[in-house]
Amino acid sequence: MYSGLNPADPTLVAAFRSALLHQGAIALLIVVFLGLAWATARAWRRPASGAPAEASAERAVAREARGRGLLRVGFGLLWILDGILQAQPKMAGGLAAQVIQPTAAASPAWVQHLVNWGGTAWSFHPIQAGAASVWIQVGIGVWLLVAAHGPWSRLAGLAAVAWGLVVWVFGESFGGIFAPGLSWLTGAPGAVLLYVVAGALIALPEDAWRTGRVGRLLLGGIGLFFIGMAVLQAWPGRGFWRGTGHGQPGTLAGMVQQMASTPQPHALSALVARFGAFAASNGFAVNLVVVIALAAMGALFLTGRPRLVRYAVWFGLVFCLADWVLVQDFGFLGGLGTDPNSMIPLILLFFAGYLALPPAPDEALAAASDPHPWRNRLGISTLRTLRPRTLGGWVAGASVRSVGAVAAVAIIVLGAAPMAAAAANRTADPILALAIAGDSAAMNLPAPGFQLTDQSGQPVSLASLRGKVVLMTFLDPVCTTDCPIIGAEFKEAGVLLGKQDADVELVAIVANPTYRSATFTQAFDREEGLNTVPNWRYLTGSLSQLSQVWRQYGITVENLPAGAMSAHNDLAVVIDRTGHIRDEVGADPGPGTASTQSSFSVLLSQYARQALRD
Amino acid sequence: MTSGGRLVMRRFRPGAGLALMGAMLALLAAGCGSQAAPVTSPALRVQTAPLSTSLVTPQGTWAVTVMGGSAADENNFWQLFVRPAGATRWSLVTPAGVADNGGLVAAAGDEQGASLVVGFRPSQSLAFSPLATSSDTGQHWTPGLLDADLADVPDAMAVAPSGQTLALLRDGGIETAASAAAATAGQWSRLTTLSALAASAPGRGCGLVAVNAVSFGQNNVPMAAGSCVRRGVAGVFADRGGAWQAAGPVLPAGFGGDQVQVLGLSRNAALLVAGTSLLAAWSDGGRWTVSAPVAATGDEPGNEQGVSASGFGPGGSVWVLLGGGRAETIGRPGGSWRALPTLPTGTATLAPGSGSSSYDALAVAGSRLTVWRLAAGAWAQVQVINVPITYGSSG
Repeated sequence: MYSGLNPADPTLVAAFRSALLHQGAIALLIVVFLGLAWATARAWRRPASGAPAEASAERAVAREARGRGLLRVGFGLLWILDGILQAQPKMAGGLAAQVIQPTAAASPAWVQHLVNWGGTAWSFHPIQAGAASVWIQVGIGVWLLVAAHGPWSRLAGLAAVAWGLVVWVFGESFGGIFAPGLSWLTGAPGAVLLYVVAGALIALPEDAWRTGRVGRLLLGGIGLFFIGMAVLQAWPGRGFWRGTGHGQPGTLAGMVQQMASTPQPHALSALVARFGAFAASNGFAVNLVVVIALAAMGALFLTGRPRLVRYAVWFGLVFCLADWVLVQDFGFLGGLGTDPNSMIPLILLFFAGYLALPPAPDEALAAASDPHPWRNRLGISTLRTLRPRTLGGWVAGASVRSVGAVAAVAIIVLGAAPMAAAAANRTADPILALAIAGDSAAMNLPAPGFQLTDQSGQPVSLASLRGKVVLMTFLDPVCTTDCPIIGAEFKEAGVLLGKQDADVELVAIVANPTYRSATFTQAFDREEGLNTVPNWRYLTGSLSQLSQVWRQYGITVENLPAGAMSAHNDLAVVIDRTGHIRDEVGADPGPGTASTQSSFSVLLSQYARQALRD
Repeated sequence: MTSGGRLVMRRFRPGAGLALMGAMLALLAAGCGSQAAPVTSPALRVQTAPLSTSLVTPQGTWAVTVMGGSAADENNFWQLFVRPAGATRWSLVTPAGVADNGGLVAAAGDEQGASLVVGFRPSQSLAFSPLATSSDTGQHWTPGLLDADLADVPDAMAVAPSGQTLALLRDGGIETAASAAAATAGQWSRLTTLSALAASAPGRGCGLVAVNAVSFGQNNVPMAAGSCVRRGVAGVFADRGGAWQAAGPVLPAGFGGDQVQVLGLSRNAALLVAGTSLLAAWSDGGRWTVSAPVAATGDEPGNEQGVSASGFGPGGSVWVLLGGGRAETIGRPGGSWRALPTLPTGTATLAPGSGSSSYDALAVAGSRLTVWRLAAGAWAQVQVINVPITYGSSG
């Protein structure tokens, strides 16, 4: 399911950092190129006649609604913060196992199945996926910040919706709404769902913001949400009314104490721990306050009356900030935090709703004086400005914001394209195998010869394999762990080689001093489906023959006492057509997950191809 | 919502809001009130005996038990000990070369049998069962192969004096090898399957649902025994010329209302559970004699009878290790169950001693085995073996 590797593995961390630096450099080049192109075009030619310059057109557009502006800027900054958090060194190797998997663990089986599918995709290509998450989120953030008006701005909202849904489903397991213990206090219904709502609101026609209806709708929705969360918080039997139970912290106190135990500044952890202790000893009172506060805020928001809503907004600000600090512990400290959790997005949403409630006089005026309201609503007027007579004309006429938006889209594509290309490949990134085994020790030494017998009883010597590349390893036919995995990796490597497989021999030599007859190699082959692989040879011989080969190739084989598996070191050797060892690779399969197995297969096939080329 | 090209926002309606709120709460409640659906009770919960056991052969007395320091399967290693005939001390003789976390199954021929065969149950990625045979009290082992998944019961293998070997598989099928050499070479053939045996006349007669043990009976006839749905019927079968026939004991009328399951089967004895009682039964080749019952005490699923180890001793004796430091033995047909003194802490299996009423209790604490011997009505420590377990060697 997941790679099973240590997230802090230096190989993974270095590769992730390298990918980010490379893509960051390219992103910088894109920004510089676009800026230069824009400045050059403006200097060399004026905007084409008949097509109003976008810059001047934008100036003519009415000022952005305050609520929309707050959402756009606020969530733009949040997306950028989330992108920066995604760049944490352990994120590539750790997100699937330490964030996605635990989040899904409490959800129903169908949620886990769906989420695990996404987690597996990540674990197959952790570097590309990690980098993609960084650039997509930074790109969306920049896009929201620079595109204040028109289709570019609305498209930014839609991009936030699309990516937010991906994160909400796969990163947050639907925000945990299908898992027990759901609570507003801890982030229900998932912070990113709030990003999605904000994106959808930004994607609305800008006129909609000038009527006050968006504000009423948004506040009504938030009011319902608060009341629903109050009911859920008050629901008997969910454990929120008890500070402790059976000598253990209750639901809320337990959550808070768990948050306090994550790595963070001592002062903060002490504060959170103190609140946890307070919640444990005053569980009923704390929950009563929460229920009443949620219900009251919900009711006030539902009224839609600016005066009442104002109280709710300011009270909500204090209440949400208190929860953000004391319960959510800022959301991103310790471990692998990916966002600041739900309170800041929620504050932004209800403030935006409040600001959108009464239409500003100048906004209403602008809406009333617009001769083509439906065109502007659909963005058609602005779209016309995007349809240049010439490319140079468009570039010259574009505003700084439009150029910035194009740059942001380019950054998103820069992150998404490698991930999409990687995801189209059903095999895993070889970086996983390199993280486990280290890089190959390239060499050019004559391979020690041998004279053994294959699983069919046919004699095989190294000399008889001359002219072909030999991928060779040492396997115990009655091994319970590594050897079946290595056998499967060799088989898959053969498949990956395609037609070149005909020029490669997949060879294993028995590594068990007791269970070494062809009876066992045949059983192993049947077990692993290797009996149908035409170029698979599982060689064995007398104990003295095998001992000599083990010694020559540096393999230590030993029977351990008391029911332990026969011990041997895992090694794969790449022998070229002339009988020279070109690479020696550690073949320990590590955790032996689907992604690491696939990764080793890719690595082996790459070494074989290299040997075929040389 | 759009109408005529203009955005129409209806004023919020409380009724619609309540409906929406109700739907939302229903959605949330669905997420917080999950409860497992009740499991339909099967007609019979199959009970089997744990692998820990001992057996007596002319070479000596063998004991199988699990040791280790972790609850993780890959750190639990099964061990084979032997007390050679005439000796008083035990030795560790676990065959090397295979990780035995899945369990060990040992079988010997009859009392003239000169060798012991041990089957390694598959574990982790291993899908077949390597074998090991010794004819020198475990000093040397010859590897063999059963290319199938050996059943997780102590009587999953049986060897006839001729060397013919039976192996009960996890799927309830029975494989046979014509000789010890054939077993070593992996030359096995299918004797029957669970479905075939259940569909046979005696299988239908008892409502056979599982095969729990194999053995050889009088005249080296392959025997199989299992769990039956039909009340009061013991499922013991003999393969006579390719046709399976009922060969089981007839239980006293008092057990007519109980489902009967066979936990163990030897050449001439069986251990059965009927309702909440354990019974021993002995065959003289034609008639069975059934013992008085002894109370079963367990409550674990699949081990309701509470047996943590069981085995057969010389002369048809039967012993069972129960919870709470309790053990019961019965020596012969017509005998009565005898409770042994409270067992030493950690006792994992018993092994018959040299005397008719003597037993060794093998107690396990991590990788340390302590042998206690029953003498003068009390347990006395006679030996300690520190087993060199290589933790993590299979994980």
